[in-house]
Amino acid sequence: MMSRKTNRCATASAALASIVLILGGYTATHAEEAGKPDYAKMSPEALAEHLILESGSFDLDQPAQEGGTARDRMIQDNLQKLCSKVRNKPNAEQAGQIIAAARASIQYPEGEIPLGDWKKGGDLAWGGFGYRLAHNPDDHSTRDPSGNCYNCHALSPQRTGGDLGPSLRGYGIIRGNTEATRRFVYEMIYNPHAYFPCTHMPRMGAKGLLSQEAIADIMAYLLHPESPVNQ
Amino acid sequence: MIRHALLVLAVTIGVPAHADPSQNPVEVLKELINSVDSAYLTQSDQNLMMMEDNPALWTVEEGKALFHAQRGPKNVSLETCDFGMGPGKLEGAYAAMPRYFKDTGKVMDLETRLVHCMTTIQGFPADDPAVKQRHGSDTDHMKLQSYITAQSNGMPWNPLMDHPLEKAMRDAGEVIFYRRAGSLDMSCQTCHGTTGKRIRASVLPDVNVPQEWTKAISWPAFRVGHQETRSSQHRLRGCYWQMRQAGPVAGSPATIAVLSFWTDMARGQPAILPDMKR
Repeated sequence: MMSRKTNRCATASAALASIVLILGGYTATHAEEAGKPDYAKMSPEALAEHLILESGSFDLDQPAQEGGTARDRMIQDNLQKLCSKVRNKPNAEQAGQIIAAARASIQYPEGEIPLGDWKKGGDLAWGGFGYRLAHNPDDHSTRDPSGNCYNCHALSPQRTGGDLGPSLRGYGIIRGNTEATRRFVYEMIYNPHAYFPCTHMPRMGAKGLLSQEAIADIMAYLLHPESPVNQ
Repeated sequence: MIRHALLVLAVTIGVPAHADPSQNPVEVLKELINSVDSAYLTQSDQNLMMMEDNPALWTVEEGKALFHAQRGPKNVSLETCDFGMGPGKLEGAYAAMPRYFKDTGKVMDLETRLVHCMTTIQGFPADDPAVKQRHGSDTDHMKLQSYITAQSNGMPWNPLMDHPLEKAMRDAGEVIFYRRAGSLDMSCQTCHGTTGKRIRASVLPDVNVPQEWTKAISWPAFRVGHQETRSSQHRLRGCYWQMRQAGPVAGSPATIAVLSFWTDMARGQPAILPDMKR
Protein backbone atom coordinates (compact mmCIF):
# COMPACT_ATOMS: atom_id res chain seq x y z
CA MET A 1 0.00 0.00 0.00
CA MET A 2 1.36 3.39 -0.98
CA SER A 3 1.84 6.10 1.59
CA ARG A 4 -0.45 9.08 1.22
CA LYS A 5 2.46 11.19 -0.08
CA THR A 6 3.47 8.67 -2.74
CA ASN A 7 -0.13 8.32 -3.75
CA ARG A 8 -0.43 12.08 -4.20
CA CYS A 9 2.80 12.11 -6.21
CA ALA A 10 1.55 9.31 -8.40
CA THR A 11 -1.72 11.14 -9.02
CA ALA A 12 0.13 14.34 -9.80
CA SER A 13 2.39 12.67 -12.33
CA ALA A 14 -0.56 10.83 -13.82
CA ALA A 15 -2.35 14.16 -14.17
CA LEU A 16 0.75 15.69 -15.72
CA ALA A 17 1.05 12.77 -18.10
CA SER A 18 -2.55 13.19 -19.18
CA ILE A 19 -2.01 16.91 -19.74
CA VAL A 20 1.00 16.10 -21.92
CA LEU A 21 -1.11 13.50 -23.70
CA ILE A 22 -3.93 15.95 -24.31
CA LEU A 23 -1.58 18.65 -25.55
CA GLY A 24 0.32 16.07 -27.61
CA GLY A 25 -2.88 14.85 -29.20
CA TYR A 26 -3.96 18.41 -29.79
CA THR A 27 -0.73 19.42 -31.56
CA ALA A 28 -0.68 16.24 -33.62
CA THR A 29 -4.24 16.73 -34.82
CA HIS A 30 -3.49 20.28 -35.77
CA ALA A 31 -0.31 19.43 -37.57
CA GLU A 32 -2.41 17.12 -39.75
CA GLU A 33 -4.56 19.99 -40.90
CA ALA A 34 -1.84 22.02 -42.50
CA GLY A 35 -2.81 25.52 -43.44
CA LYS A 36 -5.66 25.70 -40.95
CA PRO A 37 -5.00 28.41 -38.37
CA ASP A 38 -4.67 27.44 -34.73
CA TYR A 39 -7.95 28.66 -33.23
CA ALA A 40 -6.55 28.52 -29.70
CA LYS A 41 -3.84 31.04 -30.56
CA MET A 42 -6.13 33.63 -32.13
CA SER A 43 -7.81 36.49 -30.27
CA PRO A 44 -11.59 36.00 -29.85
CA GLU A 45 -12.17 38.87 -32.30
CA ALA A 46 -9.81 37.46 -34.93
CA LEU A 47 -11.27 33.98 -34.54
CA ALA A 48 -14.83 35.33 -34.85
CA GLU A 49 -13.94 37.13 -38.10
CA HIS A 50 -12.23 34.02 -39.40
CA LEU A 51 -15.16 31.77 -38.50
CA ILE A 52 -17.68 34.09 -40.14
CA LEU A 53 -15.80 34.89 -43.34
CA GLU A 54 -13.21 32.17 -43.93
CA SER A 55 -14.43 28.88 -42.46
CA GLY A 56 -17.37 27.97 -44.68
CA SER A 57 -19.74 28.55 -41.76
CA PHE A 58 -22.20 30.66 -43.75
CA ASP A 59 -23.60 30.56 -47.27
CA LEU A 60 -21.69 33.68 -48.27
CA ASP A 61 -22.21 33.26 -52.01
CA GLN A 62 -25.99 33.55 -51.87
CA PRO A 63 -27.12 36.57 -53.90
CA ALA A 64 -28.53 39.42 -51.81
CA GLN A 65 -31.71 41.27 -52.87
CA GLU A 66 -29.91 44.63 -53.01
CA GLY A 67 -27.17 43.21 -55.25
CA GLY A 68 -23.91 41.66 -54.19
CA THR A 69 -23.89 38.59 -51.98
CA ALA A 70 -24.51 37.48 -48.42
CA ARG A 71 -20.79 38.02 -47.82
CA ASP A 72 -21.32 41.78 -48.14
CA ARG A 73 -23.99 41.55 -45.44
CA MET A 74 -21.56 39.88 -43.05
CA ILE A 75 -18.72 42.38 -43.52
CA GLN A 76 -19.26 45.12 -40.95
CA ASP A 77 -19.30 48.81 -41.82
CA ASN A 78 -17.76 51.36 -39.43
CA LEU A 79 -20.92 51.86 -37.41
CA GLN A 80 -21.60 48.15 -36.97
CA LYS A 81 -17.97 47.58 -36.01
CA LEU A 82 -17.85 50.33 -33.41
CA CYS A 83 -21.25 49.61 -31.85
CA SER A 84 -20.43 45.89 -31.61
CA LYS A 85 -17.11 46.63 -29.98
CA VAL A 86 -18.62 48.84 -27.28
CA ARG A 87 -21.75 46.68 -27.05
CA ASN A 88 -23.88 49.67 -27.98
CA LYS A 89 -22.52 51.91 -25.22
CA PRO A 90 -20.28 54.44 -26.99
CA ASN A 91 -18.36 56.98 -24.94
CA ALA A 92 -18.96 60.69 -25.52
CA GLU A 93 -16.31 61.03 -28.22
CA GLN A 94 -17.48 57.92 -30.08
CA ALA A 95 -21.09 59.06 -29.79
CA GLY A 96 -20.19 62.42 -31.29
CA GLN A 97 -18.48 60.75 -34.24
CA ILE A 98 -21.43 58.42 -34.82
CA ILE A 99 -23.93 61.28 -34.72
CA ALA A 100 -21.88 63.35 -37.17
CA ALA A 101 -21.52 60.45 -39.61
CA ALA A 102 -25.22 59.64 -39.34
CA ARG A 103 -26.23 63.25 -40.01
CA ALA A 104 -23.97 63.34 -43.05
CA SER A 105 -25.62 60.16 -44.40
CA ILE A 106 -29.12 61.60 -44.56
CA GLN A 107 -30.46 62.60 -47.98
CA TYR A 108 -33.63 64.65 -48.04
CA PRO A 109 -36.38 64.84 -50.63
CA GLU A 110 -36.55 68.11 -52.55
CA GLY A 111 -38.76 70.74 -50.93
CA GLU A 112 -40.93 69.88 -47.95
CA ILE A 113 -40.85 66.43 -46.45
CA PRO A 114 -44.06 64.82 -47.74
CA LEU A 115 -46.59 62.52 -46.09
CA GLY A 116 -47.80 59.66 -48.27
CA ASP A 117 -50.73 57.25 -47.95
CA TRP A 118 -51.32 56.18 -44.33
CA LYS A 119 -53.17 53.01 -45.42
CA LYS A 120 -50.18 51.81 -47.42
CA GLY A 121 -47.97 52.95 -44.55
CA GLY A 122 -49.94 50.76 -42.14
CA ASP A 123 -49.31 47.68 -44.27
CA LEU A 124 -45.63 48.55 -44.52
CA ALA A 125 -45.41 49.12 -40.75
CA TRP A 126 -47.02 45.76 -40.06
CA GLY A 127 -45.08 43.75 -42.63
CA GLY A 128 -41.85 41.87 -41.97
CA PHE A 129 -41.11 41.03 -45.59
CA GLY A 130 -37.83 41.78 -47.29
CA TYR A 131 -34.09 41.11 -47.35
CA ARG A 132 -34.27 37.71 -45.63
CA LEU A 133 -31.82 35.18 -47.06
CA ALA A 134 -30.82 31.65 -46.01
CA HIS A 135 -33.29 28.80 -46.51
CA ASN A 136 -36.22 31.03 -47.48
CA PRO A 137 -35.01 34.14 -49.32
CA ASP A 138 -37.52 36.96 -49.93
CA ASP A 139 -38.29 37.52 -53.60
CA HIS A 140 -38.58 41.28 -54.01
CA SER A 141 -40.18 40.91 -57.43
CA THR A 142 -43.36 39.64 -55.73
CA ARG A 143 -43.78 42.58 -53.32
CA ASP A 144 -41.91 45.54 -51.89
CA PRO A 145 -39.90 45.19 -48.68
CA SER A 146 -41.74 46.40 -45.61
CA GLY A 147 -40.75 48.37 -42.52
CA ASN A 148 -40.88 45.85 -39.67
CA CYS A 149 -42.11 48.69 -37.37
CA TYR A 150 -44.55 46.60 -35.31
CA ASN A 151 -41.86 44.14 -34.31
CA CYS A 152 -40.49 46.73 -31.89
CA HIS A 153 -43.10 49.52 -31.55
CA ALA A 154 -46.69 49.78 -30.40
CA LEU A 155 -48.58 51.83 -33.01
CA SER A 156 -52.30 51.33 -33.63
CA PRO A 157 -54.34 49.88 -30.75
CA GLN A 158 -55.71 47.38 -33.31
CA ARG A 159 -52.45 45.45 -33.36
CA THR A 160 -50.03 44.28 -30.70
CA GLY A 161 -46.60 45.74 -31.24
CA GLY A 162 -43.31 44.89 -29.59
CA ASP A 163 -41.62 47.02 -26.96
CA LEU A 164 -37.94 46.90 -27.88
CA GLY A 165 -38.54 50.46 -29.03
CA PRO A 166 -40.76 53.12 -27.44
CA SER A 167 -44.54 53.09 -27.94
CA LEU A 168 -45.60 55.32 -30.84
CA ARG A 169 -49.31 55.08 -30.09
CA GLY A 170 -50.96 58.47 -30.66
CA TYR A 171 -47.66 59.84 -31.97
CA GLY A 172 -49.26 62.36 -34.34
CA ILE A 173 -51.59 63.64 -31.61
CA ILE A 174 -48.69 64.17 -29.22
CA ARG A 175 -46.16 65.61 -31.67
CA GLY A 176 -48.41 67.33 -34.19
CA ASN A 177 -47.91 67.27 -37.94
CA THR A 178 -45.49 70.19 -38.32
CA GLU A 179 -42.53 70.48 -40.68
CA ALA A 180 -40.18 70.17 -37.67
CA THR A 181 -41.85 66.92 -36.57
CA ARG A 182 -41.87 65.57 -40.12
CA ARG A 183 -38.18 66.34 -40.41
CA PHE A 184 -37.39 64.57 -37.13
CA VAL A 185 -39.46 61.49 -38.04
CA TYR A 186 -37.86 61.35 -41.47
CA GLU A 187 -34.39 61.49 -39.96
CA MET A 188 -35.25 58.85 -37.35
CA ILE A 189 -36.45 56.46 -40.03
CA TYR A 190 -33.57 57.31 -42.35
CA ASN A 191 -30.75 56.99 -39.82
CA PRO A 192 -31.68 56.99 -36.12
CA HIS A 193 -28.02 57.08 -35.04
CA ALA A 194 -28.21 60.81 -35.75
CA TYR A 195 -30.12 61.06 -32.45
CA PHE A 196 -29.40 57.80 -30.62
CA PRO A 197 -25.86 56.56 -31.35
CA CYS A 198 -25.71 52.74 -31.38
CA THR A 199 -29.50 52.44 -31.14
CA HIS A 200 -30.95 49.00 -31.98
CA MET A 201 -33.15 50.61 -34.63
CA PRO A 202 -32.21 49.86 -38.26
CA ARG A 203 -31.15 52.55 -40.77
CA MET A 204 -34.05 52.15 -43.16
CA GLY A 205 -33.04 55.06 -45.39
CA ALA A 206 -29.26 55.13 -45.11
CA LYS A 207 -29.03 51.42 -45.96
CA GLY A 208 -31.51 51.80 -48.81
CA LEU A 209 -34.00 49.37 -47.29
CA LEU A 210 -37.07 51.55 -47.88
CA SER A 211 -37.84 53.79 -50.87
CA GLN A 212 -38.65 57.48 -50.42
CA GLU A 213 -42.27 56.64 -51.21
CA ALA A 214 -42.39 53.91 -48.56
CA ILE A 215 -40.88 56.25 -45.96
CA ALA A 216 -43.51 58.89 -46.81
CA ASP A 217 -46.31 56.29 -46.42
CA ILE A 218 -45.01 55.09 -43.05
CA MET A 219 -44.68 58.72 -41.91
CA ALA A 220 -48.33 59.30 -42.86
CA TYR A 221 -49.33 56.26 -40.81
CA LEU A 222 -47.54 57.84 -37.83
CA LEU A 223 -48.65 61.45 -38.26
CA HIS A 224 -51.90 61.65 -40.26
CA PRO A 225 -54.90 62.54 -38.07
CA GLU A 226 -57.04 59.83 -39.73
CA SER A 227 -54.49 57.06 -39.19
CA PRO A 228 -55.50 54.44 -36.60
CA VAL A 229 -52.28 55.33 -34.76
CA ASN A 230 -53.90 58.65 -33.84
CA GLN A 231 -57.41 57.47 -32.95
CA MET B 1 -6.70 14.66 -7.14
CA ILE B 2 -7.74 18.21 -6.30
CA ARG B 3 -9.45 18.35 -9.66
CA HIS B 4 -11.28 15.15 -8.92
CA ALA B 5 -12.31 16.43 -5.50
CA LEU B 6 -13.60 19.65 -7.06
CA LEU B 7 -15.53 17.67 -9.62
CA VAL B 8 -17.16 15.59 -6.89
CA LEU B 9 -17.94 18.78 -5.00
CA ALA B 10 -19.37 20.42 -8.09
CA VAL B 11 -21.52 17.41 -8.79
CA THR B 12 -22.71 17.30 -5.17
CA ILE B 13 -23.59 20.98 -5.07
CA GLY B 14 -24.45 21.58 -8.71
CA VAL B 15 -26.91 18.80 -9.35
CA PRO B 16 -30.10 19.23 -7.39
CA ALA B 17 -30.97 16.10 -5.42
CA HIS B 18 -34.07 15.67 -7.55
CA ALA B 19 -32.23 15.77 -10.93
CA ASP B 20 -33.82 12.85 -12.66
CA PRO B 21 -33.88 12.62 -16.44
CA SER B 22 -37.15 10.68 -16.29
CA GLN B 23 -38.90 13.58 -14.54
CA ASN B 24 -41.38 15.41 -16.79
CA PRO B 25 -39.50 18.48 -18.10
CA VAL B 26 -42.47 20.66 -17.16
CA GLU B 27 -41.57 20.07 -13.51
CA VAL B 28 -38.07 21.47 -14.16
CA LEU B 29 -39.67 24.51 -15.75
CA LYS B 30 -42.12 24.99 -12.88
CA GLU B 31 -39.28 24.98 -10.36
CA LEU B 32 -37.49 27.64 -12.45
CA ILE B 33 -40.66 29.73 -12.56
CA ASN B 34 -40.83 29.57 -8.76
CA SER B 35 -37.19 30.65 -8.47
CA VAL B 36 -37.33 33.88 -10.47
CA ASP B 37 -39.76 36.59 -11.54
CA SER B 38 -39.73 36.20 -15.33
CA ALA B 39 -42.20 37.42 -17.92
CA TYR B 40 -40.46 35.17 -20.45
CA LEU B 41 -40.89 31.95 -18.46
CA THR B 42 -44.50 32.67 -17.56
CA GLN B 43 -45.74 34.02 -20.91
CA SER B 44 -47.87 31.03 -21.86
CA ASP B 45 -50.10 29.22 -19.36
CA GLN B 46 -51.40 27.23 -22.30
CA ASN B 47 -47.95 25.87 -23.16
CA LEU B 48 -47.38 24.98 -19.51
CA MET B 49 -50.58 22.95 -19.50
CA MET B 50 -49.83 21.29 -22.83
CA MET B 51 -46.29 20.45 -21.80
CA GLU B 52 -47.49 17.61 -19.56
CA ASP B 53 -48.23 15.78 -22.80
CA ASN B 54 -45.53 17.33 -24.95
CA PRO B 55 -45.53 15.62 -28.38
CA ALA B 56 -41.71 15.84 -28.21
CA LEU B 57 -41.87 13.10 -25.55
CA TRP B 58 -42.98 10.75 -28.34
CA THR B 59 -40.04 11.91 -30.45
CA VAL B 60 -37.80 10.91 -27.51
CA GLU B 61 -39.32 7.42 -27.44
CA GLU B 62 -38.86 7.00 -31.18
CA GLY B 63 -35.27 8.15 -30.78
CA LYS B 64 -34.66 5.55 -28.10
CA ALA B 65 -35.67 2.73 -30.44
CA LEU B 66 -33.59 4.24 -33.25
CA PHE B 67 -30.50 4.73 -31.08
CA HIS B 68 -30.39 1.08 -30.03
CA ALA B 69 -31.39 -0.36 -33.42
CA GLN B 70 -28.81 -1.95 -35.72
CA ARG B 71 -28.72 0.30 -38.73
CA GLY B 72 -26.65 1.60 -41.64
CA PRO B 73 -24.35 -0.26 -44.04
CA LYS B 74 -22.43 -1.66 -41.06
CA ASN B 75 -25.64 -2.76 -39.35
CA VAL B 76 -24.66 -1.61 -35.87
CA SER B 77 -26.35 0.53 -33.24
CA LEU B 78 -25.13 3.86 -31.90
CA GLU B 79 -24.38 2.27 -28.53
CA THR B 80 -20.63 2.69 -29.03
CA CYS B 81 -20.90 6.37 -29.94
CA ASP B 82 -19.03 8.55 -27.45
CA PHE B 83 -20.76 11.84 -26.67
CA GLY B 84 -18.02 12.81 -24.24
CA MET B 85 -18.83 10.61 -21.25
CA GLY B 86 -17.61 7.36 -22.81
CA PRO B 87 -19.12 5.02 -25.43
CA GLY B 88 -22.90 4.90 -25.15
CA LYS B 89 -22.96 6.91 -21.93
CA LEU B 90 -25.71 9.45 -22.41
CA GLU B 91 -26.65 10.61 -18.93
CA GLY B 92 -25.60 14.24 -18.60
CA ALA B 93 -23.56 14.06 -21.83
CA TYR B 94 -25.55 16.71 -23.68
CA ALA B 95 -25.41 19.20 -20.79
CA ALA B 96 -21.61 19.28 -21.26
CA MET B 97 -21.71 19.94 -25.03
CA PRO B 98 -20.39 21.42 -27.24
CA ARG B 99 -17.06 19.90 -26.21
CA TYR B 100 -13.69 18.95 -27.58
CA PHE B 101 -13.35 15.44 -29.00
CA LYS B 102 -9.87 13.97 -29.20
CA ASP B 103 -10.72 11.61 -32.06
CA THR B 104 -11.63 14.46 -34.40
CA GLY B 105 -9.53 17.22 -32.83
CA LYS B 106 -12.56 19.49 -32.91
CA VAL B 107 -15.13 21.10 -30.68
CA MET B 108 -18.42 19.50 -31.73
CA ASP B 109 -22.07 20.10 -30.94
CA LEU B 110 -24.52 17.23 -30.60
CA GLU B 111 -25.63 17.37 -34.22
CA THR B 112 -22.11 17.18 -35.67
CA ARG B 113 -21.15 14.45 -33.19
CA LEU B 114 -24.18 12.45 -34.24
CA VAL B 115 -23.25 12.88 -37.90
CA HIS B 116 -19.73 11.72 -37.03
CA CYS B 117 -21.00 8.53 -35.37
CA MET B 118 -23.61 7.77 -38.04
CA THR B 119 -21.00 8.05 -40.80
CA THR B 120 -18.06 6.36 -39.03
CA ILE B 121 -19.71 3.75 -36.78
CA GLN B 122 -22.80 2.93 -38.80
CA GLY B 123 -21.21 3.70 -42.18
CA PHE B 124 -23.98 5.93 -43.51
CA PRO B 125 -22.86 8.03 -46.50
CA ALA B 126 -22.91 11.76 -45.68
CA ASP B 127 -25.70 12.32 -48.22
CA ASP B 128 -27.94 9.56 -46.86
CA PRO B 129 -31.32 11.01 -45.76
CA ALA B 130 -30.69 9.60 -42.27
CA VAL B 131 -27.69 11.93 -41.99
CA LYS B 132 -28.68 14.76 -44.27
CA GLN B 133 -32.26 15.51 -43.18
CA ARG B 134 -32.07 17.54 -40.00
CA HIS B 135 -35.46 19.17 -39.53
CA GLY B 136 -38.88 17.90 -38.54
CA SER B 137 -40.11 15.42 -35.90
CA ASP B 138 -40.04 12.57 -38.41
CA THR B 139 -36.33 12.83 -39.19
CA ASP B 140 -33.84 10.43 -37.66
CA HIS B 141 -31.88 13.46 -36.46
CA MET B 142 -34.70 14.96 -34.44
CA LYS B 143 -35.58 11.57 -32.96
CA LEU B 144 -32.00 10.75 -31.99
CA GLN B 145 -31.23 14.25 -30.72
CA SER B 146 -34.43 14.25 -28.66
CA TYR B 147 -33.54 10.92 -27.04
CA ILE B 148 -29.90 11.80 -26.34
CA THR B 149 -30.70 15.24 -24.91
CA ALA B 150 -33.53 13.90 -22.74
CA GLN B 151 -30.85 12.04 -20.76
CA SER B 152 -29.68 15.48 -19.54
CA ASN B 153 -33.13 16.67 -18.48
CA GLY B 154 -33.00 18.54 -15.16
CA MET B 155 -29.20 18.53 -15.10
CA PRO B 156 -27.19 21.75 -14.91
CA TRP B 157 -25.55 22.97 -18.11
CA ASN B 158 -21.87 22.38 -17.64
CA PRO B 159 -19.78 22.91 -20.79
CA LEU B 160 -16.22 21.95 -19.85
CA MET B 161 -13.86 24.74 -20.95
CA ASP B 162 -10.87 22.49 -20.14
CA HIS B 163 -9.36 22.29 -23.61
CA PRO B 164 -7.93 25.48 -25.15
CA LEU B 165 -10.19 25.00 -28.18
CA GLU B 166 -13.32 24.87 -26.01
CA LYS B 167 -12.43 28.22 -24.48
CA ALA B 168 -11.42 29.70 -27.86
CA MET B 169 -14.72 28.68 -29.46
CA ARG B 170 -16.76 29.97 -26.52
CA ASP B 171 -14.99 33.33 -26.59
CA ALA B 172 -15.34 33.69 -30.37
CA GLY B 173 -19.01 32.75 -29.94
CA GLU B 174 -19.40 35.66 -27.54
CA VAL B 175 -17.95 38.06 -30.10
CA ILE B 176 -20.29 36.67 -32.76
CA PHE B 177 -23.27 36.99 -30.38
CA TYR B 178 -22.63 40.73 -30.01
CA ARG B 179 -21.54 41.32 -33.61
CA ARG B 180 -23.90 43.64 -35.47
CA ALA B 181 -24.14 43.07 -39.22
CA GLY B 182 -26.62 42.59 -42.04
CA SER B 183 -29.32 44.86 -43.46
CA LEU B 184 -30.91 45.64 -40.07
CA ASP B 185 -27.66 46.10 -38.07
CA MET B 186 -28.78 43.35 -35.72
CA SER B 187 -26.85 41.05 -33.43
CA CYS B 188 -28.19 38.38 -31.08
CA GLN B 189 -27.97 41.06 -28.37
CA THR B 190 -30.65 43.16 -30.10
CA CYS B 191 -33.34 40.72 -28.98
CA HIS B 192 -31.60 38.89 -26.12
CA GLY B 193 -29.77 41.59 -24.18
CA THR B 194 -32.56 43.06 -22.04
CA THR B 195 -35.10 41.49 -19.71
CA GLY B 196 -38.82 41.20 -20.41
CA LYS B 197 -38.86 42.85 -23.85
CA ARG B 198 -41.18 41.72 -26.61
CA ILE B 199 -41.02 41.26 -30.38
CA ARG B 200 -44.71 41.80 -31.14
CA ALA B 201 -46.47 39.60 -28.57
CA SER B 202 -43.54 37.26 -27.81
CA VAL B 203 -41.50 37.88 -24.67
CA LEU B 204 -37.81 37.37 -25.42
CA PRO B 205 -35.32 35.51 -23.22
CA ASP B 206 -32.40 37.52 -21.82
CA VAL B 207 -28.91 36.02 -22.14
CA ASN B 208 -27.99 37.75 -18.86
CA VAL B 209 -30.67 35.93 -16.85
CA PRO B 210 -29.50 32.30 -16.64
CA GLN B 211 -32.89 31.05 -15.41
CA GLU B 212 -34.45 32.42 -18.61
CA TRP B 213 -31.55 31.48 -20.80
CA THR B 214 -31.70 27.80 -19.87
CA LYS B 215 -35.19 27.60 -21.35
CA ALA B 216 -34.10 29.60 -24.39
CA ILE B 217 -31.36 27.07 -25.20
CA SER B 218 -33.28 23.94 -24.23
CA TRP B 219 -33.60 22.29 -27.63
CA PRO B 220 -34.97 20.04 -29.00
CA ALA B 221 -38.32 21.58 -28.20
CA PHE B 222 -41.74 21.09 -29.70
CA ARG B 223 -42.67 24.35 -31.41
CA VAL B 224 -46.40 24.76 -31.17
CA GLY B 225 -46.48 27.20 -34.09
CA HIS B 226 -44.63 24.70 -36.32
CA GLN B 227 -46.16 21.49 -34.92
CA GLU B 228 -42.66 20.01 -35.13
CA THR B 229 -39.80 19.21 -32.79
CA ARG B 230 -36.96 21.62 -33.53
CA SER B 231 -33.21 21.67 -32.83
CA SER B 232 -30.63 24.25 -31.66
CA GLN B 233 -29.34 24.53 -35.21
CA HIS B 234 -32.87 25.17 -36.47
CA ARG B 235 -33.29 28.01 -33.93
CA LEU B 236 -29.99 29.52 -34.98
CA ARG B 237 -30.90 29.40 -38.67
CA GLY B 238 -34.20 31.15 -37.94
CA CYS B 239 -32.44 33.92 -36.03
CA TYR B 240 -29.94 34.57 -38.84
CA TRP B 241 -32.81 34.62 -41.33
CA GLN B 242 -34.67 37.21 -39.26
CA MET B 243 -31.50 39.26 -38.76
CA ARG B 244 -31.09 39.48 -42.54
CA GLN B 245 -27.62 38.01 -42.28
CA ALA B 246 -26.16 35.09 -44.25
CA GLY B 247 -27.59 31.62 -43.73
CA PRO B 248 -25.50 29.54 -41.32
CA VAL B 249 -24.30 26.09 -42.39
CA ALA B 250 -25.46 23.46 -39.88
CA GLY B 251 -22.60 22.08 -37.83
CA SER B 252 -20.17 24.72 -39.06
CA PRO B 253 -17.53 26.12 -36.69
CA ALA B 254 -19.25 29.52 -36.32
CA THR B 255 -22.52 27.87 -35.29
CA ILE B 256 -20.70 25.69 -32.77
CA ALA B 257 -18.94 28.78 -31.40
CA VAL B 258 -22.31 30.46 -30.82
CA LEU B 259 -23.71 27.30 -29.22
CA SER B 260 -20.63 27.12 -26.95
CA PHE B 261 -21.21 30.67 -25.75
CA TRP B 262 -24.94 30.32 -25.34
CA THR B 263 -24.58 27.08 -23.36
CA ASP B 264 -21.97 28.70 -21.12
CA MET B 265 -24.41 31.53 -20.37
CA ALA B 266 -26.90 29.00 -18.95
CA ARG B 267 -24.23 27.31 -16.85
CA GLY B 268 -25.53 25.79 -13.64
CA GLN B 269 -29.20 26.07 -14.56
CA PRO B 270 -31.22 22.90 -15.18
CA ALA B 271 -31.85 21.85 -18.78
CA ILE B 272 -35.48 21.39 -19.84
CA LEU B 273 -35.38 18.49 -22.28
CA PRO B 274 -37.44 18.19 -24.29
CA ASP B 275 -38.98 21.65 -24.01
CA MET B 276 -42.09 23.15 -25.59
CA LYS B 277 -42.02 26.59 -27.15
CA ARG B 278 -44.49 28.87 -28.89
